[in-house]
Amino acid sequence: MRIETAAYASRWQGVAPSAKALFALGGMGAAWVATRPGTLAVLAAVMALTALVGARVPPRTYMAVALPPLGFLLLSCLTMLVTPGVDGAWHWAASLNPAVLPTVERTALRSLAMLAALLGFVLSTPLPDLLALLRRLRTPELLLDLMALCYRMLFVLRQAWDEGVTAQSARLGYRGWRNAWRSTGLLAGQMAVQVWQRAGALQMAAEARGYQGTLRFLPAVFPQARRQNAWAALAAALLLLAAAGDRL
Amino acid sequence: MNTLLEMKAVSHTFADGSAGLHDCSLVLGSGRRHALLGANGAGKTTLLQHLNGLLRPNAGQLLLEGRPYDYGRNGLAQLRRRVGLVFQNPERQLFSAQVEEDVSFGPLNLGLDEATVRARVKAALEAVGLADQARRAVHHLSFGQKKRVCIAGVLAMEPDVLLLDEPMAGLDAPMQEALAALLDRLAARGVTILLSTHDIDFAYGWADDIHLMAGGRVSASGPAQRIGADIDALEAAGQRPPLALALHAHLVTRGVLPAGSGSGTAPRSVDAVLDALRILPFKPLMKTST
Repeated sequence: MRIETAAYASRWQGVAPSAKALFALGGMGAAWVATRPGTLAVLAAVMALTALVGARVPPRTYMAVALPPLGFLLLSCLTMLVTPGVDGAWHWAASLNPAVLPTVERTALRSLAMLAALLGFVLSTPLPDLLALLRRLRTPELLLDLMALCYRMLFVLRQAWDEGVTAQSARLGYRGWRNAWRSTGLLAGQMAVQVWQRAGALQMAAEARGYQGTLRFLPAVFPQARRQNAWAALAAALLLLAAAGDRL
Repeated sequence: MNTLLEMKAVSHTFADGSAGLHDCSLVLGSGRRHALLGANGAGKTTLLQHLNGLLRPNAGQLLLEGRPYDYGRNGLAQLRRRVGLVFQNPERQLFSAQVEEDVSFGPLNLGLDEATVRARVKAALEAVGLADQARRAVHHLSFGQKKRVCIAGVLAMEPDVLLLDEPMAGLDAPMQEALAALLDRLAARGVTILLSTHDIDFAYGWADDIHLMAGGRVSASGPAQRIGADIDALEAAGQRPPLALALHAHLVTRGVLPAGSGSGTAPRSVDAVLDALRILPFKPLMKTST
Protein backbone atom coordinates (compact mmCIF):
# COMPACT_ATOMS: atom_id res chain seq x y z
CA MET A 1 0.00 0.00 0.00
CA ARG A 2 2.93 2.31 0.77
CA ILE A 3 4.43 1.67 -2.66
CA GLU A 4 1.07 2.41 -4.26
CA THR A 5 0.58 5.67 -2.37
CA ALA A 6 4.14 6.84 -3.07
CA ALA A 7 3.81 6.03 -6.78
CA TYR A 8 0.65 8.13 -7.13
CA ALA A 9 2.12 11.01 -5.11
CA SER A 10 5.46 10.94 -6.94
CA ARG A 11 6.53 13.97 -8.97
CA TRP A 12 7.40 11.56 -11.76
CA GLN A 13 3.97 9.96 -11.94
CA GLY A 14 3.35 11.70 -15.26
CA VAL A 15 6.73 10.69 -16.71
CA ALA A 16 6.56 7.92 -19.31
CA PRO A 17 7.05 4.54 -17.57
CA SER A 18 9.31 3.50 -20.46
CA ALA A 19 11.70 6.34 -19.55
CA LYS A 20 11.72 5.36 -15.87
CA ALA A 21 12.23 1.71 -16.78
CA LEU A 22 15.09 2.66 -19.11
CA PHE A 23 16.82 4.63 -16.36
CA ALA A 24 16.29 1.83 -13.82
CA LEU A 25 17.64 -0.72 -16.31
CA GLY A 26 20.64 1.52 -16.91
CA GLY A 27 21.27 1.62 -13.14
CA MET A 28 20.94 -2.14 -12.82
CA GLY A 29 23.18 -2.74 -15.81
CA ALA A 30 25.79 -0.38 -14.38
CA ALA A 31 25.65 -2.19 -11.02
CA TRP A 32 26.23 -5.44 -12.84
CA VAL A 33 29.18 -4.05 -14.82
CA ALA A 34 30.91 -2.07 -12.01
CA THR A 35 33.48 -3.92 -9.92
CA ARG A 36 35.01 -1.37 -7.52
CA PRO A 37 33.24 -0.96 -4.19
CA GLY A 38 33.53 2.83 -4.47
CA THR A 39 31.78 2.89 -7.85
CA LEU A 40 29.03 0.58 -6.60
CA ALA A 41 28.49 2.74 -3.50
CA VAL A 42 28.28 5.90 -5.63
CA LEU A 43 25.84 4.12 -7.98
CA ALA A 44 23.61 3.11 -5.08
CA ALA A 45 23.72 6.66 -3.72
CA VAL A 46 22.91 8.19 -7.13
CA MET A 47 19.93 5.87 -7.68
CA ALA A 48 18.59 6.47 -4.17
CA LEU A 49 19.03 10.25 -4.42
CA THR A 50 17.32 10.27 -7.81
CA ALA A 51 14.25 8.67 -6.22
CA LEU A 52 14.32 10.89 -3.14
CA VAL A 53 15.14 14.22 -4.78
CA GLY A 54 14.07 13.73 -8.40
CA ALA A 55 10.88 11.74 -7.93
CA ARG A 56 10.26 13.26 -4.45
CA VAL A 57 9.60 9.94 -2.73
CA PRO A 58 9.28 10.67 1.01
CA PRO A 59 12.42 9.36 2.84
CA ARG A 60 10.28 7.64 5.49
CA THR A 61 8.37 5.69 2.80
CA TYR A 62 11.61 4.90 1.00
CA MET A 63 13.16 3.45 4.15
CA ALA A 64 10.00 1.54 5.10
CA VAL A 65 9.89 -0.11 1.67
CA ALA A 66 13.65 -0.73 1.58
CA LEU A 67 13.87 -2.30 5.05
CA PRO A 68 12.58 -5.83 4.24
CA PRO A 69 14.96 -6.38 1.28
CA LEU A 70 17.78 -4.77 3.30
CA GLY A 71 17.12 -7.25 6.09
CA PHE A 72 17.26 -10.06 3.56
CA LEU A 73 20.52 -8.67 2.19
CA LEU A 74 22.00 -8.45 5.71
CA LEU A 75 21.05 -12.04 6.40
CA SER A 76 22.59 -13.16 3.12
CA CYS A 77 25.85 -11.32 3.89
CA LEU A 78 26.00 -12.87 7.36
CA THR A 79 25.66 -16.35 5.92
CA MET A 80 28.60 -15.55 3.64
CA LEU A 81 30.65 -14.24 6.55
CA VAL A 82 30.04 -17.17 8.88
CA THR A 83 30.94 -20.65 7.74
CA PRO A 84 31.23 -24.09 9.39
CA GLY A 85 34.81 -25.32 9.84
CA VAL A 86 36.19 -28.86 9.54
CA ASP A 87 35.91 -29.16 13.34
CA GLY A 88 32.12 -28.72 13.08
CA ALA A 89 32.15 -25.29 14.80
CA TRP A 90 31.15 -21.94 13.25
CA HIS A 91 33.97 -19.62 12.17
CA TRP A 92 34.29 -16.19 10.58
CA ALA A 93 34.87 -16.93 6.91
CA ALA A 94 37.44 -14.10 6.77
CA SER A 95 39.67 -15.84 9.29
CA LEU A 96 39.75 -18.96 7.08
CA ASN A 97 39.96 -17.15 3.76
CA PRO A 98 40.68 -13.38 3.78
CA ALA A 99 39.65 -13.08 0.10
CA VAL A 100 36.03 -13.56 1.06
CA LEU A 101 35.62 -10.08 2.56
CA PRO A 102 35.96 -8.11 -0.72
CA THR A 103 33.54 -10.56 -2.34
CA VAL A 104 30.96 -9.99 0.38
CA GLU A 105 31.52 -6.23 0.17
CA ARG A 106 31.09 -6.20 -3.61
CA THR A 107 28.02 -8.43 -3.51
CA ALA A 108 26.36 -6.32 -0.82
CA LEU A 109 27.04 -3.03 -2.61
CA ARG A 110 25.97 -4.43 -5.97
CA SER A 111 22.72 -5.68 -4.45
CA LEU A 112 22.23 -2.31 -2.80
CA ALA A 113 22.67 -0.47 -6.11
CA MET A 114 20.29 -2.88 -7.87
CA LEU A 115 17.73 -2.45 -5.08
CA ALA A 116 18.01 1.36 -5.29
CA ALA A 117 17.45 1.24 -9.06
CA LEU A 118 14.39 -0.98 -8.69
CA LEU A 119 12.92 1.04 -5.81
CA GLY A 120 13.29 4.27 -7.77
CA PHE A 121 11.20 2.71 -10.54
CA VAL A 122 8.42 1.10 -8.49
CA LEU A 123 8.06 4.05 -6.11
CA SER A 124 7.40 6.45 -9.00
CA THR A 125 5.32 4.22 -11.30
CA PRO A 126 1.70 3.28 -10.50
CA LEU A 127 0.93 -0.33 -11.29
CA PRO A 128 -1.51 0.47 -14.13
CA ASP A 129 1.33 2.30 -15.94
CA LEU A 130 3.60 -0.66 -15.34
CA LEU A 131 0.94 -3.00 -16.76
CA ALA A 132 0.58 -0.76 -19.82
CA LEU A 133 4.34 -0.88 -20.32
CA LEU A 134 4.37 -4.68 -19.99
CA ARG A 135 1.53 -4.84 -22.51
CA ARG A 136 3.59 -2.79 -24.96
CA LEU A 137 6.49 -5.17 -24.36
CA ARG A 138 4.17 -8.02 -25.45
CA THR A 139 3.85 -9.76 -22.09
CA PRO A 140 1.23 -12.56 -22.38
CA GLU A 141 -2.28 -11.08 -22.06
CA LEU A 142 -3.43 -13.74 -19.62
CA LEU A 143 -0.70 -12.82 -17.17
CA LEU A 144 -1.53 -9.12 -17.44
CA ASP A 145 -5.27 -9.79 -17.01
CA LEU A 146 -4.50 -11.74 -13.86
CA MET A 147 -2.27 -8.95 -12.56
CA ALA A 148 -4.92 -6.31 -13.27
CA LEU A 149 -7.70 -8.30 -11.60
CA CYS A 150 -5.57 -9.25 -8.58
CA TYR A 151 -4.53 -5.63 -8.14
CA ARG A 152 -8.14 -4.40 -8.22
CA MET A 153 -9.44 -7.25 -6.04
CA LEU A 154 -6.77 -6.49 -3.46
CA PHE A 155 -8.38 -3.14 -2.74
CA VAL A 156 -11.94 -4.45 -3.01
CA LEU A 157 -11.22 -7.25 -0.55
CA ARG A 158 -9.31 -5.00 1.79
CA GLN A 159 -12.34 -2.71 1.91
CA ALA A 160 -14.66 -5.69 2.48
CA TRP A 161 -12.37 -6.96 5.25
CA ASP A 162 -12.21 -3.52 6.93
CA GLU A 163 -15.99 -3.18 6.76
CA GLY A 164 -16.39 -6.66 8.25
CA VAL A 165 -14.01 -5.88 11.12
CA THR A 166 -15.81 -2.59 11.79
CA ALA A 167 -19.20 -4.31 11.81
CA GLN A 168 -17.93 -7.00 14.17
CA SER A 169 -16.25 -4.46 16.47
CA ALA A 170 -19.51 -2.50 16.69
CA ARG A 171 -21.11 -5.65 18.15
CA LEU A 172 -18.23 -6.30 20.57
CA GLY A 173 -16.73 -8.94 18.32
CA TYR A 174 -13.19 -8.12 19.43
CA ARG A 175 -13.77 -7.92 23.18
CA GLY A 176 -11.26 -10.35 24.60
CA TRP A 177 -8.88 -12.59 22.71
CA ARG A 178 -11.33 -15.50 22.50
CA ASN A 179 -13.93 -13.29 20.79
CA ALA A 180 -11.28 -11.76 18.56
CA TRP A 181 -10.13 -15.17 17.31
CA ARG A 182 -13.72 -16.29 16.77
CA SER A 183 -14.62 -13.10 14.88
CA THR A 184 -11.51 -13.31 12.71
CA GLY A 185 -12.30 -16.92 11.86
CA LEU A 186 -15.91 -16.12 11.02
CA LEU A 187 -14.85 -13.20 8.86
CA ALA A 188 -12.20 -15.25 7.05
CA GLY A 189 -14.85 -17.89 6.27
CA GLN A 190 -17.26 -15.21 5.10
CA MET A 191 -14.59 -13.64 2.90
CA ALA A 192 -14.35 -16.87 0.92
CA VAL A 193 -18.05 -16.56 0.11
CA GLN A 194 -17.64 -12.86 -0.65
CA VAL A 195 -14.74 -13.54 -3.01
CA TRP A 196 -16.91 -16.05 -4.84
CA GLN A 197 -19.86 -13.65 -5.06
CA ARG A 198 -17.72 -10.70 -6.12
CA ALA A 199 -15.98 -12.75 -8.78
CA GLY A 200 -19.41 -13.72 -10.15
CA ALA A 201 -20.59 -10.10 -10.03
CA LEU A 202 -17.47 -8.85 -11.85
CA GLN A 203 -17.95 -11.49 -14.53
CA MET A 204 -21.55 -10.36 -14.99
CA ALA A 205 -20.54 -6.68 -15.08
CA ALA A 206 -17.89 -7.45 -17.70
CA GLU A 207 -20.41 -9.35 -19.83
CA ALA A 208 -22.83 -6.42 -19.62
CA ARG A 209 -20.13 -4.34 -21.35
CA GLY A 210 -19.46 -6.81 -24.12
CA TYR A 211 -16.69 -8.94 -22.52
CA GLN A 212 -15.61 -11.64 -24.96
CA GLY A 213 -12.78 -13.41 -23.18
CA THR A 214 -10.05 -10.76 -23.09
CA LEU A 215 -9.79 -7.77 -20.77
CA ARG A 216 -8.91 -4.89 -23.04
CA PHE A 217 -8.05 -1.44 -21.72
CA LEU A 218 -6.92 1.80 -23.31
CA PRO A 219 -3.24 2.49 -22.65
CA ALA A 220 -2.37 5.85 -21.08
CA VAL A 221 -0.77 8.45 -23.32
CA PHE A 222 2.45 10.24 -22.36
CA PRO A 223 2.91 13.11 -24.82
CA GLN A 224 6.50 13.81 -23.71
CA ALA A 225 7.51 10.13 -23.89
CA ARG A 226 9.96 10.54 -26.77
CA ARG A 227 11.88 13.36 -25.10
CA GLN A 228 11.79 11.64 -21.70
CA ASN A 229 13.01 8.37 -23.19
CA ALA A 230 15.93 10.21 -24.82
CA TRP A 231 16.94 11.82 -21.50
CA ALA A 232 16.58 8.51 -19.67
CA ALA A 233 18.68 6.72 -22.31
CA LEU A 234 21.37 9.40 -21.99
CA ALA A 235 21.41 9.08 -18.17
CA ALA A 236 21.50 5.28 -18.41
CA ALA A 237 24.37 5.46 -20.90
CA LEU A 238 26.35 7.75 -18.55
CA LEU A 239 25.83 5.32 -15.67
CA LEU A 240 26.97 2.42 -17.83
CA LEU A 241 30.02 4.38 -19.02
CA ALA A 242 31.00 5.25 -15.45
CA ALA A 243 30.64 1.60 -14.47
CA ALA A 244 32.57 0.38 -17.52
CA GLY A 245 35.51 2.52 -16.35
CA ASP A 246 36.06 -0.08 -13.61
CA ARG A 247 36.83 -2.75 -16.19
CA LEU A 248 39.31 -0.72 -18.24
CA MET B 1 -44.93 6.59 -28.70
CA ASN B 2 -42.36 4.42 -30.52
CA THR B 3 -41.79 1.15 -28.71
CA LEU B 4 -38.07 0.44 -28.36
CA LEU B 5 -37.94 -2.42 -25.87
CA GLU B 6 -40.67 -4.84 -25.00
CA MET B 7 -41.02 -7.66 -22.53
CA LYS B 8 -43.84 -10.12 -23.15
CA ALA B 9 -45.07 -12.39 -20.34
CA VAL B 10 -41.53 -13.13 -19.16
CA SER B 11 -40.96 -15.59 -16.32
CA HIS B 12 -37.64 -16.45 -14.74
CA THR B 13 -36.77 -18.89 -11.98
CA PHE B 14 -33.28 -18.91 -10.46
CA ALA B 15 -31.20 -22.04 -10.04
CA ASP B 16 -32.05 -22.19 -6.31
CA GLY B 17 -35.75 -22.36 -7.19
CA SER B 18 -36.67 -18.81 -6.19
CA ALA B 19 -38.83 -16.91 -8.65
CA GLY B 20 -37.31 -13.77 -10.18
CA LEU B 21 -40.00 -12.73 -12.64
CA HIS B 22 -43.49 -14.08 -13.10
CA ASP B 23 -45.51 -13.34 -16.24
CA CYS B 24 -43.88 -9.92 -16.46
CA SER B 25 -44.68 -7.55 -19.34
CA LEU B 26 -43.26 -4.10 -20.00
CA VAL B 27 -43.12 -1.65 -22.88
CA LEU B 28 -40.46 1.07 -23.05
CA GLY B 29 -41.14 4.02 -25.32
CA SER B 30 -38.19 5.46 -27.22
CA GLY B 31 -36.51 8.63 -25.91
CA ARG B 32 -38.50 8.70 -22.67
CA ARG B 33 -37.52 8.71 -19.02
CA HIS B 34 -38.83 5.61 -17.28
CA ALA B 35 -38.79 4.80 -13.56
CA LEU B 36 -39.18 1.26 -12.27
CA LEU B 37 -40.64 1.48 -8.81
CA GLY B 38 -40.91 -1.40 -6.41
CA ALA B 39 -40.10 -2.73 -2.95
CA ASN B 40 -37.04 -4.86 -2.18
CA GLY B 41 -37.33 -8.26 -3.83
CA ALA B 42 -39.95 -7.07 -6.31
CA GLY B 43 -37.73 -8.18 -9.20
CA LYS B 44 -36.34 -4.85 -10.43
CA THR B 45 -32.72 -6.01 -10.80
CA THR B 46 -33.80 -9.28 -12.43
CA LEU B 47 -35.88 -7.33 -14.94
CA LEU B 48 -32.96 -5.01 -15.79
CA GLN B 49 -30.63 -7.98 -16.25
CA HIS B 50 -33.13 -9.52 -18.66
CA LEU B 51 -33.26 -6.32 -20.70
CA ASN B 52 -29.45 -6.34 -21.03
CA GLY B 53 -29.43 -10.03 -21.96
CA LEU B 54 -27.53 -11.14 -18.86
CA LEU B 55 -30.43 -13.38 -17.87
CA ARG B 56 -32.61 -15.37 -20.24
CA PRO B 57 -36.29 -15.89 -19.63
CA ASN B 58 -37.61 -19.38 -18.85
CA ALA B 59 -40.81 -18.33 -20.56
CA GLY B 60 -41.92 -15.30 -22.55
CA GLN B 61 -40.07 -13.09 -24.96
CA LEU B 62 -38.02 -9.90 -25.14
CA LEU B 63 -38.05 -7.65 -28.19
CA LEU B 64 -35.82 -4.83 -29.36
CA GLU B 65 -37.53 -2.66 -31.98
CA GLY B 66 -40.01 -5.48 -32.54
CA ARG B 67 -37.36 -8.17 -33.14
CA PRO B 68 -36.86 -10.98 -30.60
CA TYR B 69 -33.57 -10.92 -28.69
CA ASP B 70 -30.77 -12.88 -30.34
CA TYR B 71 -28.83 -14.69 -27.60
CA GLY B 72 -26.01 -15.74 -29.92
CA ARG B 73 -22.52 -14.25 -29.41
CA ASN B 74 -22.93 -11.56 -32.07
CA GLY B 75 -26.53 -10.89 -31.13
CA LEU B 76 -25.62 -10.28 -27.49
CA ALA B 77 -22.71 -8.03 -28.46
CA GLN B 78 -25.07 -5.98 -30.64
CA LEU B 79 -27.73 -5.90 -27.89
CA ARG B 80 -25.28 -4.72 -25.22
CA ARG B 81 -23.98 -2.01 -27.51
CA ARG B 82 -27.51 -0.63 -27.70
CA VAL B 83 -28.74 -1.43 -24.18
CA GLY B 84 -26.26 -0.47 -21.43
CA LEU B 85 -26.64 -1.46 -17.79
CA VAL B 86 -25.17 0.37 -14.78
CA PHE B 87 -25.05 -1.84 -11.69
CA GLN B 88 -26.10 -0.74 -8.22
CA ASN B 89 -22.81 -1.40 -6.46
CA PRO B 90 -19.84 0.20 -8.23
CA GLU B 91 -17.40 -2.13 -6.44
CA ARG B 92 -18.97 -4.95 -8.37
CA GLN B 93 -18.71 -3.25 -11.74
CA LEU B 94 -15.28 -1.60 -11.73
CA PHE B 95 -12.44 -4.04 -12.20
CA SER B 96 -9.76 -1.95 -13.80
CA ALA B 97 -7.19 -0.11 -11.77
CA GLN B 98 -7.50 3.26 -13.47
CA VAL B 99 -10.55 5.38 -14.32
CA GLU B 100 -9.69 5.88 -17.99
CA GLU B 101 -8.87 2.20 -18.43
CA ASP B 102 -12.16 1.06 -16.96
CA VAL B 103 -14.21 3.45 -19.09
CA SER B 104 -12.39 2.23 -22.21
CA PHE B 105 -13.28 -1.42 -21.53
CA GLY B 106 -16.73 -1.37 -23.16
CA PRO B 107 -15.87 0.57 -26.34
CA LEU B 108 -12.75 -1.58 -26.90
CA ASN B 109 -14.98 -4.66 -26.69
CA LEU B 110 -17.04 -3.15 -29.51
CA GLY B 111 -13.97 -3.42 -31.72
CA LEU B 112 -13.55 0.34 -32.19
CA ASP B 113 -10.18 1.81 -33.12
CA GLU B 114 -8.02 3.48 -30.47
CA ALA B 115 -8.67 7.07 -31.60
CA THR B 116 -12.45 6.59 -31.48
CA VAL B 117 -12.23 4.88 -28.08
CA ARG B 118 -10.10 7.71 -26.74
CA ALA B 119 -12.61 10.31 -27.98
CA ARG B 120 -15.52 8.38 -26.47
CA VAL B 121 -13.77 7.94 -23.12
CA LYS B 122 -13.03 11.66 -23.01
CA ALA B 123 -16.63 12.58 -23.87
CA ALA B 124 -18.08 10.10 -21.35
CA LEU B 125 -15.84 11.36 -18.54
CA GLU B 126 -16.73 14.95 -19.41
CA ALA B 127 -20.43 14.04 -19.35
CA VAL B 128 -20.17 12.74 -15.78
CA GLY B 129 -17.86 15.57 -14.67
CA LEU B 130 -14.77 13.42 -14.15
CA ALA B 131 -12.58 14.59 -17.02
CA ASP B 132 -9.87 15.67 -14.57
CA GLN B 133 -9.85 12.28 -12.80
CA ALA B 134 -9.05 10.17 -15.89
CA ARG B 135 -5.66 8.99 -14.64
CA ARG B 136 -6.63 8.41 -11.01
CA ALA B 137 -6.73 4.99 -9.42
CA VAL B 138 -10.28 3.69 -9.01
CA HIS B 139 -9.72 2.82 -5.35
CA HIS B 140 -8.80 6.43 -4.58
CA LEU B 141 -12.26 7.68 -5.63
CA SER B 142 -15.26 8.34 -3.39
CA PHE B 143 -18.40 6.19 -3.65
CA GLY B 144 -20.19 8.86 -5.70
CA GLN B 145 -17.24 9.24 -8.06
CA LYS B 146 -17.07 5.46 -8.53
CA LYS B 147 -20.74 5.47 -9.40
CA ARG B 148 -20.13 8.16 -12.02
CA VAL B 149 -17.23 6.13 -13.46
CA CYS B 150 -19.66 3.21 -13.82
CA ILE B 151 -22.08 5.43 -15.73
CA ALA B 152 -19.25 6.77 -17.91
CA GLY B 153 -18.19 3.18 -18.66
CA VAL B 154 -21.61 2.51 -20.14
CA LEU B 155 -22.03 5.95 -21.77
CA ALA B 156 -18.78 5.41 -23.66
CA MET B 157 -20.54 2.57 -25.49
CA GLU B 158 -23.11 5.17 -26.67
CA PRO B 159 -26.16 3.04 -25.95
CA ASP B 160 -29.67 3.89 -27.14
CA VAL B 161 -31.07 2.64 -23.85
CA LEU B 162 -29.46 3.28 -20.48
CA LEU B 163 -30.56 1.00 -17.64
CA LEU B 164 -29.58 2.07 -14.12
CA ASP B 165 -30.07 -0.16 -11.09
CA GLU B 166 -30.91 2.11 -8.15
CA PRO B 167 -28.50 4.87 -9.21
CA MET B 168 -29.43 7.16 -6.32
CA ALA B 169 -28.65 4.60 -3.60
CA GLY B 170 -25.84 5.76 -1.36
CA LEU B 171 -25.56 9.24 -2.89
CA ASP B 172 -26.02 12.43 -0.89
CA ALA B 173 -28.56 15.09 -1.95
CA PRO B 174 -26.20 17.26 -4.08
CA MET B 175 -24.87 14.16 -5.85
CA GLN B 176 -28.41 12.96 -6.49
CA GLU B 177 -29.23 16.34 -8.02
CA ALA B 178 -26.08 16.22 -10.18
CA LEU B 179 -26.96 12.71 -11.34
CA ALA B 180 -30.55 13.72 -12.13
CA ALA B 181 -29.21 16.65 -14.16
CA LEU B 182 -26.88 14.27 -16.05
CA LEU B 183 -29.78 11.92 -16.80
CA ASP B 184 -31.84 14.88 -18.02
CA ARG B 185 -29.03 15.86 -20.40
CA LEU B 186 -28.87 12.30 -21.72
CA ALA B 187 -32.63 12.17 -22.14
CA ALA B 188 -32.47 15.47 -24.04
CA ARG B 189 -30.00 13.78 -26.42
CA GLY B 190 -32.62 11.13 -27.13
CA VAL B 191 -31.28 8.35 -24.88
CA THR B 192 -34.04 6.17 -23.45
CA ILE B 193 -33.50 5.82 -19.70
CA LEU B 194 -34.93 3.23 -17.34
CA LEU B 195 -33.89 3.46 -13.70
CA SER B 196 -35.03 1.39 -10.76
CA THR B 197 -35.72 3.15 -7.49
CA HIS B 198 -37.51 2.92 -4.14
CA ASP B 199 -38.05 6.68 -4.07
CA ILE B 200 -41.53 7.49 -5.36
CA ASP B 201 -41.01 11.23 -4.91
CA PHE B 202 -37.99 11.18 -7.19
CA ALA B 203 -39.73 8.87 -9.68
CA TYR B 204 -42.83 11.05 -9.76
CA GLY B 205 -40.84 14.26 -10.18
CA TRP B 206 -38.37 13.01 -12.76
CA ALA B 207 -39.89 10.28 -14.92
CA ASP B 208 -42.18 10.54 -17.94
CA ASP B 209 -43.46 7.02 -17.27
CA ILE B 210 -43.63 5.00 -14.08
CA HIS B 211 -43.73 1.19 -13.99
CA LEU B 212 -44.78 -0.34 -10.69
CA MET B 213 -43.37 -3.75 -9.77
CA ALA B 214 -44.58 -6.24 -7.20
CA GLY B 215 -44.11 -9.99 -6.85
CA GLY B 216 -41.92 -10.34 -9.93
CA ARG B 217 -44.23 -8.60 -12.37
CA VAL B 218 -45.05 -5.09 -13.57
CA SER B 219 -48.38 -4.38 -11.93
CA ALA B 220 -49.05 -0.97 -13.48
CA SER B 221 -47.47 1.21 -16.16
CA GLY B 222 -48.26 4.63 -17.50
CA PRO B 223 -47.50 8.34 -17.47
CA ALA B 224 -46.07 9.46 -14.14
CA GLN B 225 -48.98 11.78 -13.34
CA ARG B 226 -51.56 9.06 -13.86
CA ILE B 227 -49.67 6.37 -11.92
CA GLY B 228 -48.78 8.85 -9.14
CA ALA B 229 -52.47 9.60 -8.63
CA ASP B 230 -53.56 5.94 -8.75
CA ILE B 231 -53.72 5.19 -5.02
CA ASP B 232 -54.93 1.60 -5.50
CA ALA B 233 -52.12 0.68 -7.90
CA LEU B 234 -49.55 2.29 -5.60
CA GLU B 235 -50.89 0.44 -2.57
CA ALA B 236 -50.82 -2.86 -4.45
CA ALA B 237 -47.12 -2.27 -5.14
CA GLY B 238 -46.43 -1.29 -1.52
CA GLN B 239 -45.93 2.38 -2.32
CA ARG B 240 -47.31 5.52 -0.70
CA PRO B 241 -48.64 8.44 -2.80
CA PRO B 242 -46.05 11.05 -3.83
CA LEU B 243 -45.51 13.68 -1.15
CA ALA B 244 -46.09 16.52 -3.62
CA LEU B 245 -49.53 15.17 -4.53
CA ALA B 246 -50.52 14.53 -0.91
CA LEU B 247 -49.40 18.01 0.14
CA HIS B 248 -51.14 19.62 -2.80
CA ALA B 249 -54.37 17.72 -2.05
CA HIS B 250 -54.31 18.92 1.59
CA LEU B 251 -53.73 22.53 0.56
CA VAL B 252 -56.57 22.34 -1.98
CA THR B 253 -58.91 20.78 0.60
CA ARG B 254 -58.15 23.60 3.03
CA GLY B 255 -58.73 26.19 0.34
CA VAL B 256 -55.14 27.47 0.35
CA LEU B 257 -54.50 26.47 -3.25
CA PRO B 258 -57.05 26.32 -6.03
CA ALA B 259 -57.66 22.90 -7.56
CA GLY B 260 -55.48 22.42 -10.63
CA SER B 261 -52.91 25.06 -9.58
CA GLY B 262 -49.33 24.76 -10.82
CA SER B 263 -49.60 25.29 -14.58
CA GLY B 264 -53.00 23.68 -14.68
CA THR B 265 -51.88 20.22 -13.61
CA ALA B 266 -50.98 18.53 -10.33
CA PRO B 267 -47.48 19.56 -9.19
CA ARG B 268 -44.67 17.03 -9.74
CA SER B 269 -42.55 17.97 -6.74
CA VAL B 270 -42.73 19.62 -3.34
CA ASP B 271 -40.73 22.50 -4.84
CA ALA B 272 -43.49 22.98 -7.42
CA VAL B 273 -46.09 23.13 -4.60
CA LEU B 274 -43.96 25.74 -2.82
CA ASP B 275 -43.72 27.72 -6.05
CA ALA B 276 -47.51 27.63 -6.33
CA LEU B 277 -47.75 28.94 -2.74
CA ARG B 278 -45.21 31.70 -3.39
CA ILE B 279 -47.23 33.25 -6.21
CA LEU B 280 -50.32 33.54 -4.01
CA PRO B 281 -51.04 37.05 -2.68
CA PHE B 282 -49.59 37.42 0.82
CA LYS B 283 -52.27 37.41 3.51
CA PRO B 284 -51.04 37.87 7.07
CA LEU B 285 -52.68 35.56 9.59
CA MET B 286 -55.53 37.22 11.52
CA LYS B 287 -55.25 37.04 15.28
CA THR B 288 -58.30 35.35 16.74
CA SER B 289 -59.52 36.56 20.11
CA THR B 290 -60.63 33.92 22.59
